[in-house]
Amino acid sequence: MIALHWPSVRGRARADAGPLLLVAVVVAVVALLAGATPPVLRATSDEATRDAVRRAADDAAVRVEADWPDDYGPTGGRQRAPLLAQDVASLGHLAQDDLSPELQAALQTPVTTVSSISMAVTDGSVQRRLQLEYLRRGDGGDPRVTWVAGKAPGPSTSDDSIEIPLNGAPWPIHVGVSEAEAAALGVRPGDRIPVQDDRRTPYDVRVSGIFRPVDPGDPAWRLVPWLLQPAANRDGLGSTRFGGLLSDESLPDARLAFRSDQLRRGVRFDADPDKLTWASAQNLADSVATLKGLSAVSAERDTSLKWATQLDSVLRDLRNQIATATPQASVLLLALLAGALLVVSLAADLLTRRRTTALATARQRGAALPALAAELAVESVAVTVPAAAIGLALAAVLTGSASLIWVLPFVVLAIAAGPAFGTLAAARATRDKRAPANRSARRWARRTVRLRRAAIDAAVVLLAVGALVALRQRGIETGLASAAPALGALAVSLLLVRLLPPATGAVLRLSLRSRRSLGLFAAARAAATSSRMLPALAVTTAIALASFAVTLQATTDRGLSDGAWQAVGADARLTVGLEASGSTADIATRVAAAPGVEAAVPARVVESERFIADSTSIVARLIVVDTAAFRRLLAGTPLPGLPAPAGLTAADGDTVPALVRTGDGSLRPGLDFRLPLQTNSAIQMAAIGVAPAIGTGEDVIVVDVAAAKAAGLDWEPDTVWATGSGAAAAIRATGADGRLVTRAEVAEDRRTAPLTEGLVRLYVIAAVTLLALGLLGFALAAAAGAPERWETLARLRTLGLRPRDTHRVAAGELLPVAVVAAVSGPLLGALLAWLTLGPLALNVLTGQVAVPVTVVPWWTVELVTVGALAAVLLAVVGGESVVRRKRRLGDVLRVSS
Amino acid sequence: MTSALLTVRGVSRTFGSGPAAVHALSDVSFEVEPGTMVALVGRSGSGKTTLLNVIGGLDRPDSGTVTVDGLEVTGLDEDGLSQLRRDKVSYVFQTFGLIPVLSAAENVGVPLRLARAEPAERERRVGLLLDLVGLADHAQQRPGELSGGQQQRVAIARALAASPRLLVADEPTGQLDAETGLAVMGLLRGVVESEGVTAVVATHDPVMMALADRVIRISDGRVLT
Ligand SMILES: Nc1ncnc2c1ncn2[C@@H]1O[C@H](COP(=O)(O)OP(=O)(O)O)[C@@H](O)[C@H]1O
Ligand SMILES: [Mg+2]
Repeated sequence: MIALHWPSVRGRARADAGPLLLVAVVVAVVALLAGATPPVLRATSDEATRDAVRRAADDAAVRVEADWPDDYGPTGGRQRAPLLAQDVASLGHLAQDDLSPELQAALQTPVTTVSSISMAVTDGSVQRRLQLEYLRRGDGGDPRVTWVAGKAPGPSTSDDSIEIPLNGAPWPIHVGVSEAEAAALGVRPGDRIPVQDDRRTPYDVRVSGIFRPVDPGDPAWRLVPWLLQPAANRDGLGSTRFGGLLSDESLPDARLAFRSDQLRRGVRFDADPDKLTWASAQNLADSVATLKGLSAVSAERDTSLKWATQLDSVLRDLRNQIATATPQASVLLLALLAGALLVVSLAADLLTRRRTTALATARQRGAALPALAAELAVESVAVTVPAAAIGLALAAVLTGSASLIWVLPFVVLAIAAGPAFGTLAAARATRDKRAPANRSARRWARRTVRLRRAAIDAAVVLLAVGALVALRQRGIETGLASAAPALGALAVSLLLVRLLPPATGAVLRLSLRSRRSLGLFAAARAAATSSRMLPALAVTTAIALASFAVTLQATTDRGLSDGAWQAVGADARLTVGLEASGSTADIATRVAAAPGVEAAVPARVVESERFIADSTSIVARLIVVDTAAFRRLLAGTPLPGLPAPAGLTAADGDTVPALVRTGDGSLRPGLDFRLPLQTNSAIQMAAIGVAPAIGTGEDVIVVDVAAAKAAGLDWEPDTVWATGSGAAAAIRATGADGRLVTRAEVAEDRRTAPLTEGLVRLYVIAAVTLLALGLLGFALAAAAGAPERWETLARLRTLGLRPRDTHRVAAGELLPVAVVAAVSGPLLGALLAWLTLGPLALNVLTGQVAVPVTVVPWWTVELVTVGALAAVLLAVVGGESVVRRKRRLGDVLRVSS
Repeated sequence: MTSALLTVRGVSRTFGSGPAAVHALSDVSFEVEPGTMVALVGRSGSGKTTLLNVIGGLDRPDSGTVTVDGLEVTGLDEDGLSQLRRDKVSYVFQTFGLIPVLSAAENVGVPLRLARAEPAERERRVGLLLDLVGLADHAQQRPGELSGGQQQRVAIARALAASPRLLVADEPTGQLDAETGLAVMGLLRGVVESEGVTAVVATHDPVMMALADRVIRISDGRVLT
């Protein structure tokens, strides 16, 4: 049993309460950050899941469509199905049965809809359209209405199962109309609304009653807002869409009145973001993919359910983002832990220095090394464990829980630091220190020391290189890889620190030649302390990792804004629905003329068009655009420009020239390829240049609109890109219906996305903490060297050094560490960021196609680093000189001798 | 006025206050003629170091005056004291106090650098002094590579570098074995003669006293005559 000498333990702790408290604070802060990060990350992932689904809105909804069964009657006509409403309701049940339990839990009650085509109202007015709608909620009810005039739509016939000839007169349909729309249309119960489809086939639509929704906020209405209020521009610029409400009784008549392909039935499940967590979402993506796989099998025209949703891709994107964010958080945490551990070691070193004499005395009095180690361990545990507990408790209070994964190993190492340093010092103090008498033995001893040092260096460098290689080759998954930046910073700092003694030695030799004695004294002090590696190592590593975190932050920031440019392609982009595409060019012209708009260009954008090159199929985004106008527009943005190879704007016979870009390089300039058309024919295309990346996704094919037209590809544009501060407002002002995406909104959306926001916050916290650790390390290093420094300064004073000159000598001693940290720290941080940005996959969060350009905020980093280090240096030097002034030289020398 | 190089008059120094106060020096007065070597002898704790500190301006007395070469040390400010240390007073300590990263020659040259001596003049004088202390062959060695006695000889050479009038040595042989100590004392004795400096050397070793021109005994902060 090891006998502890408790009075010594207490006495030491009391004498060194300051440094011990400092260690406690560092441990508590690190425990707080490291303990809080995993639960915060988990909560953020959950929030990101909800947020992604919420933002995806329509895309996240799960929709099912099914064609109608045939309704041919026994005599070859069409037979009325009086119970069609039940049939439609059962579609909802069928769909629900197909859902996996977890999917059911994540989706809201479905709404089943039956929608007619949109028909032109032929009452002499311009561009009024009418669309008939049947609505039913999955729980059986339908959005309730009260009939303020007339009555609910009833059947058009008393013969429930009547069979009508195929080419008979229009079959009457009864519908309800909302108050607002009845007023706008000027119809009353019993009136007919004269309508015809785009082939001028008339339909017999009769108003049975005028309704008022009981709850206009019912989500079901949101699917078909034109039932309640006229909707502008849905069917092209200047159009107004009205809605006619079908009932259970009039639905069978609508079925008879329209061809099967003119009346579509479907079920829509909106996702319920509040019920989602990241864990639940992961299973969800799989079940959704399975559902979609089911419908892919039966692509033919039958009554089977056809599932459509972007929910799986929304979740897949999210999974990518979380898979990126989690290791990034680990990287930063490891950096933080590394910095903190170095600083804790520095503190242990300081303590040990203060105790060297006491420890040596204890040894001489007969205390055994294990007993001393145990005493120091008791102290270390007593300081570290409660501090860690406080940090963890704070983490738990702030985040609801605290994770031990990172804290535990850190605490173990932090506990070990003090006893390790102390025991080593005690062992050394009592070991026979005399250098061996004979020369070769001395050389041998020196060589052993050098070899041991080289071995340590090589091990650290190899580990760092291994981590970096693992990171760059296999990405961030392995544990070693996420330590790459921390190890890299440590390894390079170590090598730099090894250069300090020769460097300060060289400066010393130089200053010996100079006549300035102050420089010589400073250089002598610097040379004397440069063999202590820990201070420079800790400070440089911490500053490098702080710069690394700042660089990640700046790069993310820039990447987010670049990514927004890329995603939108301009300041604003309008995507017009196909029904309204006829007016796209007109919208572009009007937008271009508006104030604050630099350029507006209409284009046809097909998200995933299939091309064939060398019998392999390529899916790419096809852009048909006036390339000259588009080039001018792009020139006003930070986006890559559009090349202008000769012959781009003119078709060469039947061949359309194109600019191409594929991620895998399968399309290159000089290659010919084809765009297959539905009509079994194909358009020949020739790649004559490289397209820039436009939008998200790697594969882009750009074709000039004139060349396309010449080859017979006469497609209406459906997209308007506009640049200029007034672009979004100008597009809004046209009143065009469509999806308006603005760069500002996209950037803001991405910036405020929970994961991005959380990570950026972590970058900033890590940077600030690491900087603080670096400065603390610097101060600790200064404190550890203080007794020696004071003694030397006092000696120099006895030789006639003036008091005011002692500052400069003191500053000169501390300068090398500060200079190495201030110069190499930021450089090293930037280098590490540059090396690891690719594997860290920052672009997944910034929404960029390629790895973002490393942005190093040199000025900020250097100013802050230099400023902060200089401030600490001045504070230390100034503070010491104030204290020194109060003490007589005789006292200083008396204490030290 | 007398021709004394060092005059100590009525010097008292008390550490602390109240019942715990230590009267390290009580009304100490004496004079030292130029070119003499004085041994300051007394038991440990008798006040030797305190007295030397007051003489050299490393500490200030509570009362009394110290005059060195006509200059009143006790009336100088910090800059004045710095100047005094450059020109007139130098010290040799028990713990040598050499700068470890500088060679023996460079250590000896430090006071000359502070005095802004010409490099050529500095080198000449350093060579001379190293010769004087018998370390000409060790000029390029660093303190760590020298024995204790050699280090102290370097320290003495350094103390003499700027040609001071007064050399204050506080137990210069305290960390040396008897034989080496005697040699160092002999060296001190020699340089007092060859360089014409005045030396006050604290020691509690009676053997050393024989080498001194005069012995001042001190006990409990009082000079016994
Ligand atoms: N800074 C101080 N504070 C308190 N007491 C001191 C201080 N310096 C010296 N003393 C006391 O003054 C007395 C004389 O000490 P010192 O001059 O060092 O004696 P010596 O050098 O002869 O051994 C001793 O009792 C010592 O404890
Ligand atoms: Mg003494």
